[in-house]
Amino acid sequence: MLRRTALSAAALLAAGTLVLAGCTGGADPAPSETVGVPNPDASVSIRLVLEPSNLDIRQTAGISLDQTLIDNVYQGLVARTAEGEIVDSLASSHEVSPDGLTYTFTLRDGVTFHDGQPLTAQDVVSSLTTRQSTPEWADSERLANIASIAADGQTITLTLTQPDSALLWNLTGRAGIILKEGDAVDYNTAANGTGPFRLANWRQGASLTLERNDAYWGDPAQVADVTFDFIPDNQAAINAALSGEIDVIVGFDATLADQVEASGDFTVETGSATDKSVLAMNSTTEALADPRVREAIRTAIDHEAIVEAIGAGQTLFGPIPEPDPGYEDLSDVVSYDPDVARTLLSEAGVEDLSLTLTIPSAYGSTLSQILVSNLNDVGIDLRVDPVDFGTWLSDVYTNKDYELSVVNHAEPRDFENWADPDYYFTYDNPEVQELYAQSLAATDEAAASDLLAQAARIVSEDHAADWLYNWASVVAVATNVSGMPVDNVNARIDLAEIAKSDG
Amino acid sequence: MTRYALTRLGLLLLGLVVASVLIFLTLRVLPGDVAQQIAGTNSTPEQVAAIRERLGLNVPLPVQYAEWVGGLLTGDLGASLVTGTPVVAELAAKAQVTIPLGLMSMAVALLIALPFGILAALRRGRADGTFLSFGAQTLAAVPVVWAGMMLVVVFAVWLGWLPAQGFPRDGWREPGRAFASLVLPAVTIGVVEGAMLMRFVRSATLAAMGQDFVRTAAAKGLTRRAALLRHGLPTVGLSIISVLGLQVAGIVVGAVVIEQLFTLPGIGRMLVADVGLRDLPKVQGELLALTAVVLVVGFIVDLVHRGLDPRQREVS
Repeated sequence: MLRRTALSAAALLAAGTLVLAGCTGGADPAPSETVGVPNPDASVSIRLVLEPSNLDIRQTAGISLDQTLIDNVYQGLVARTAEGEIVDSLASSHEVSPDGLTYTFTLRDGVTFHDGQPLTAQDVVSSLTTRQSTPEWADSERLANIASIAADGQTITLTLTQPDSALLWNLTGRAGIILKEGDAVDYNTAANGTGPFRLANWRQGASLTLERNDAYWGDPAQVADVTFDFIPDNQAAINAALSGEIDVIVGFDATLADQVEASGDFTVETGSATDKSVLAMNSTTEALADPRVREAIRTAIDHEAIVEAIGAGQTLFGPIPEPDPGYEDLSDVVSYDPDVARTLLSEAGVEDLSLTLTIPSAYGSTLSQILVSNLNDVGIDLRVDPVDFGTWLSDVYTNKDYELSVVNHAEPRDFENWADPDYYFTYDNPEVQELYAQSLAATDEAAASDLLAQAARIVSEDHAADWLYNWASVVAVATNVSGMPVDNVNARIDLAEIAKSDG
Repeated sequence: MTRYALTRLGLLLLGLVVASVLIFLTLRVLPGDVAQQIAGTNSTPEQVAAIRERLGLNVPLPVQYAEWVGGLLTGDLGASLVTGTPVVAELAAKAQVTIPLGLMSMAVALLIALPFGILAALRRGRADGTFLSFGAQTLAAVPVVWAGMMLVVVFAVWLGWLPAQGFPRDGWREPGRAFASLVLPAVTIGVVEGAMLMRFVRSATLAAMGQDFVRTAAAKGLTRRAALLRHGLPTVGLSIISVLGLQVAGIVVGAVVIEQLFTLPGIGRMLVADVGLRDLPKVQGELLALTAVVLVVGFIVDLVHRGLDPRQREVS
């Protein structure tokens, strides 16, 4: 079973534009308070790095669709907070039976879609059933354990074939989005959801605008509209912010914090994120089949120096980042020591090792330069092959034709890729696969998380890959804007609370 | 003249056919495809295969080419595989940014190149003429991206006169705002292109000054400047018309870079995004349309040149 992995080019770009290194952003995760009274007619502009290729939330991959449309336009029975808690959304309450086999949701009354049609229990049944039975849609597998979906009045009951501790979480994502049954909307270019904002305008190559849904079932949005401006270049984004064209910079390069804070109109805020910069090591290649060689590579890398160069985030020594269940500090597994790395290489009988790193060119060169220097230090000749993302998808992801690869995996709770021997990580350990299956089948949250932690330790001790850093969620927010989420904005941006004063 | 025009038209059509084959084939060399992009990094090979099948990517290449050319002959440039939008509609929407940007860049380039180029020629050998030539050499060597960044810092960030990036969300509904958002990008392209064009104007002017008929006019009593302005400038104009045809290609390339830098929703930015997505039917439609523009402008320039230049008329 595969789990979604989203890639955040924000992190790539941040890593790439480190010319003005030296300063780091503030570490206050609390959203800034508005100075002045919020103006309900205000417009907010938010810069994003990546734009969606189309708007089809059902099947088009890409984190920018999650950032712009989920929570704001589309909703599920349950939702997740920026901190990763599961809360009710279109369901007014939910209950899981002690055996973990029955999920009962009570659907909220009086909810309408943006086009005015009412939300019915049948819409929920049809949304989940259609997704489950359309294998072409990646998230269909997330509902694989559901045996039946039934509605009785406003009560919706899911019956499972086996317990699935990830199901509720999956329902907060794309797998759980509720659409109108038989809707005629062209999902490629339009949207019809139940959220606090409706899609007003999408101008490909420029921006996507959401406007307040005045018929929203919950508390109405506090601004008239929000526009996401897609600005790939960090410096261009800062210029736009300084000249008053945008209010929020998402995917902010923490090393440039001084530039925007000096104006007094912006504060830079840093929250936690689940972005994992994964140095994948293809263990099916002759050079990397020996775990001692992989350990040597990990030991040769100065993770502290990388975090310092990125300007935000923290070191990470295993597949699960701190915000996710199953996290454990695994820094005891490897520590930076070039001498140990050289010893490991000679024990493995490796001399004159030469490796190629395939890396999406959007990441820039900072990360590659550090890796080249670190590995060169222990006698490994690293050649860097920057490719465009389409080439990376083809060569590395699909054909597994690579030795080393770096990609930022932004998606939360994506441990399952380590339990999937067909994933491009090429990691195949039945013990880890078994622990992961047990974790899914656990009906107790603490037990599920403990099993994940055991599996994660094995992955790290096997040196299946290296984790270069766990990025932070960095935003620059105008001082007259409040309610901007700070945590995990690389994956989701819930605009329900955002407000702007005229000050 | 008619025979020349017909021959030239034949060459234009041949050029389009060759371009269509080259565009089609070179795009197929790119690794990866749009199905992988849509499916992303949480997909199984089966899912990618299903999307590939649905989008018709498994159809043999000769058949794909034949279908594309068949569509072209009926005026259909194809449609995006990702959004389903027709290429013609996409081009029309993005042309609202790119065509005004191109024209404004051209105007800026000419405003710089003509007066300073002619002046530099007239003042050749003197300090101010040398300074102008040197300035043009320097400006022409400036990277477009750097020039753009500097202009943004001064006119958008410091002075706040013009937008730093972007294009109004409602397009040309407020022409003043739309125009303002294109000024910095157009000046960025125009200054660099203008500096290159200026060197050309200078040498064309110098060549004209050496022409027999200009020297004869001077010998008959006109001042050197009057002889140049009255008799020499028409030949300078002819040379510039020829070069402008080439400048169109330069401005298209400039637009690709500048639209990224200023986040303008134009044809250049769309092309880069579509190549990244591997939306090949859309990319090939866009590239062919751009190629056609460059070829047709070249065709018109040649005809105009021939129509205006009495010496070329005599030869034919």
